[in-house]
Amino acid sequence: MTTVRIWFEKRGEAAYISLLDLQRVMHRALKRSGLPVWYTLGFNPHIYLTFACPLSLGQESLCESCDVKTEAEPLDLSGWQDALSACLPRGLVVKRVAPVGDKAAAIAYSSYAVTMPATAAPLLEAYNAAESAPVTKKTKSGPKTLDLKAHLPKIEYRQEEDTLYLLLCLPAGDGLNLNPALLLEHLKTYGELPIWQCSILRTGLYKADKTEFC
Amino acid sequence: MSDFSAQFKQALSLVQKPGRYTGGEPGCIFKDKSKVDIRFAFCFPDTYEIGMSFLGEKILYELLNQHENWWCERAFMPWVDMKAEMERLSIPLYCLESKDPLRDFDIIGFTLEYELCYTNILAMLELSGIPLRAADRGEDWPLIIAGGPCVCNAEPMADFFDVMQLGEGEQMLQDICAEVEKAKKTGLTRLELLQNLAQIPGVYVPAFYDVHYLPDGRIEAITPNRPGVPATVTKAIVKDLDAFAPPKSFVVPMVGAIHDRASVEVLRGCVRGCRFCQAGQLYRPFRERSPELISEAARALCHNTGYDELSLTSLSTSDHSQLESILDKLNAWATCDHVSLSLPSLRVDNFSESLLQKTTQVRKSGLTFAAEAGTQRLRDVINKNVSWEQIERTCTIAFREGYTAVKLYFMMGLPTETMEDIKGIADTAQQVVDLFYSNPDRPKGKGVQVTASVACFVPKPDTPFQFCPQDRREALKEKQRYLLSCVRSRKIRINYHDSATSVLEGVFAKGDRRLGNVIEKAYHNGAFFDTWEEFFNYDRWMEAFAACGIDPDFYNYREIALNEITPWSHLDVGVSHAHLVREYQKALKAEVSPPCNRQCSGCGANKLLGGPCFDYGKDLV
Ligand code: SF4
Repeated sequence: MTTVRIWFEKRGEAAYISLLDLQRVMHRALKRSGLPVWYTLGFNPHIYLTFACPLSLGQESLCESCDVKTEAEPLDLSGWQDALSACLPRGLVVKRVAPVGDKAAAIAYSSYAVTMPATAAPLLEAYNAAESAPVTKKTKSGPKTLDLKAHLPKIEYRQEEDTLYLLLCLPAGDGLNLNPALLLEHLKTYGELPIWQCSILRTGLYKADKTEFC
Repeated sequence: MSDFSAQFKQALSLVQKPGRYTGGEPGCIFKDKSKVDIRFAFCFPDTYEIGMSFLGEKILYELLNQHENWWCERAFMPWVDMKAEMERLSIPLYCLESKDPLRDFDIIGFTLEYELCYTNILAMLELSGIPLRAADRGEDWPLIIAGGPCVCNAEPMADFFDVMQLGEGEQMLQDICAEVEKAKKTGLTRLELLQNLAQIPGVYVPAFYDVHYLPDGRIEAITPNRPGVPATVTKAIVKDLDAFAPPKSFVVPMVGAIHDRASVEVLRGCVRGCRFCQAGQLYRPFRERSPELISEAARALCHNTGYDELSLTSLSTSDHSQLESILDKLNAWATCDHVSLSLPSLRVDNFSESLLQKTTQVRKSGLTFAAEAGTQRLRDVINKNVSWEQIERTCTIAFREGYTAVKLYFMMGLPTETMEDIKGIADTAQQVVDLFYSNPDRPKGKGVQVTASVACFVPKPDTPFQFCPQDRREALKEKQRYLLSCVRSRKIRINYHDSATSVLEGVFAKGDRRLGNVIEKAYHNGAFFDTWEEFFNYDRWMEAFAACGIDPDFYNYREIALNEITPWSHLDVGVSHAHLVREYQKALKAEVSPPCNRQCSGCGANKLLGGPCFDYGKDLV
């Protein structure tokens, strides 16, 4: 049995599909595609699938992944991308299908492209000038306070017309996972920032040595 | 598609389950709007989760979209939080596919599934910026139409709609769209269009009828106010169900719907003639789909949607004359396609062991029986052909098969009901408990759980009980108390609902046009989502009645004389008045009537088919 990793984009309307719903959507799409994925045994067989490092609702991504298993031999993954894309709602587009590389636990960082209105520039400057940036993060063992500056000392950005473009790299995965929404919330302590005028797009996942997770 | 407006994104970021408002589900249809002639907004006046569970919408969505130059899209009632955000941010109600506001559409169709959603319709019109009353809408507004079971007495909503559809929409709705397309292309006025639409079988244009009242408030006459309009509108039906294949694809919701599975309608109508049941009368006569078509469509549907659960739906699926053949055909592919079957409406009287096995290969859920009344006498009154012996036989089989939970459905407030009948509900539940413990083959080491779910009976138009007054709230409360006092076992659970919503349901079911004012008043005073207990406010409604000078009791607590002209007397669902009177009189004598497939009771619905409903020469079940 081989584990196969399906890489897909999650954009537009699909950004509003929650993880729970995404599992159902992916399950049905795989079933429709007729691809030789492995079903669990037992009374109520279903397709085995797991998602690595899922996104928050409303955020977009270029690099989501879902692992499935297959017993097909020899394994020919060439038709998988198109077959599965055809069964997914628009916004979910399969980019690559390959035998699994790294374990999901290897994910240590994620990069994001964030946009915000130009009026937020002073807020970013204030962040860069600040000594510390304490944020409170909900964890399984209750709220935890940590310093964002320890993970993101300086925010680089460029302005085009009335929009700011930021590239962020934040800890991600099973260890410490810092959602960029935390930063947006924190910026609000320096001044007004309408969150709905910001967008968050995940652009990459990386391992501890900053090489790409695959 | 990612260019959601800033306002829209803002609203989405502030509400629960934003996925209900974004559309783009698998199976949803996108077209180029510059290339379509008719844009149809199919509106369901309740939440996305509920609306996406209705089969009717899926049937019509597929039928309309099969026309290349028509585009049918969907809209639902936004939940309270989203409604507030849309109002605050001036986002007009839009359809999920194109995100275009409703007022850009040619036709807006609402489905009227239950009476308590009427205020939601007004809310959806107002969110769209569309004038509520048909009389206030000029040439340029979309045509606002209605369909669904409540159209059988459409009168309380008559002022708000341009067109209402009585009966089944498969053909009728396509004919309406074709007329609208023609009218657009030839530049007809709204009035000319309505006159053409009124010629389509089943189409009711409320503005073309005048209602005259007697001094005491009863109706004197309902008459067409212009030539060329039929005096009575006769419902449209699909004569041959096999002429319309069931949908082979659904829009598959991503945010879980209530019924989130593939479903195929196996038959329409019901042979039973239960006297309390409106659906049983409205969908007459009984028509079946062939096993081949059912199996083919079901397989295609599961394949196209990815659903792994299939249900066969209808008012009474096990009355299909070829049910075993259907199940055999489905079982031939279901397992290898990873699909499990469920049959929601099994009946106690023809529930066989082999049937039970065919449907429970996968899952043993609870067993449900609609006994409806607690004594044989009252079951005869309502013509519910279920006897204790049948319940006993079925439970015996089911307990042996491993079932341990039984749910029994009852009603209270039925005509001729006495406290003896109420006690009968508790007695029946107790008998089921006793049956379990006296069964040597019962599942070992497990107890039984019997739930009796007791609804308040609401007399409905087009049924033999339309003449009856509804039981008052105080009487129902007393019956509920008495029922609880009759229960002796901890294995029995009684569920019942507050009767306040049933009161309104009764008033609107049998109401007339004058109630339009009340609905609008209540809406303006904040009523919407009335089906949701947390938003339903009985006093607000009573204030609206008082403000409009209308006595609600006149509609639901008054006995209707057998020769009275009802508000729905010009809307003919096929069942004759004479039949209703006959059945009512038999009911009062506790005399039963046979099911249609054994013997015709002459209700008149066969005229819709143009021949007898059944071939009684054949050897029928
Ligand atoms: S005409 Fe006869 S068989 Fe047909 S629906 Fe009416 S009672 Fe039943």
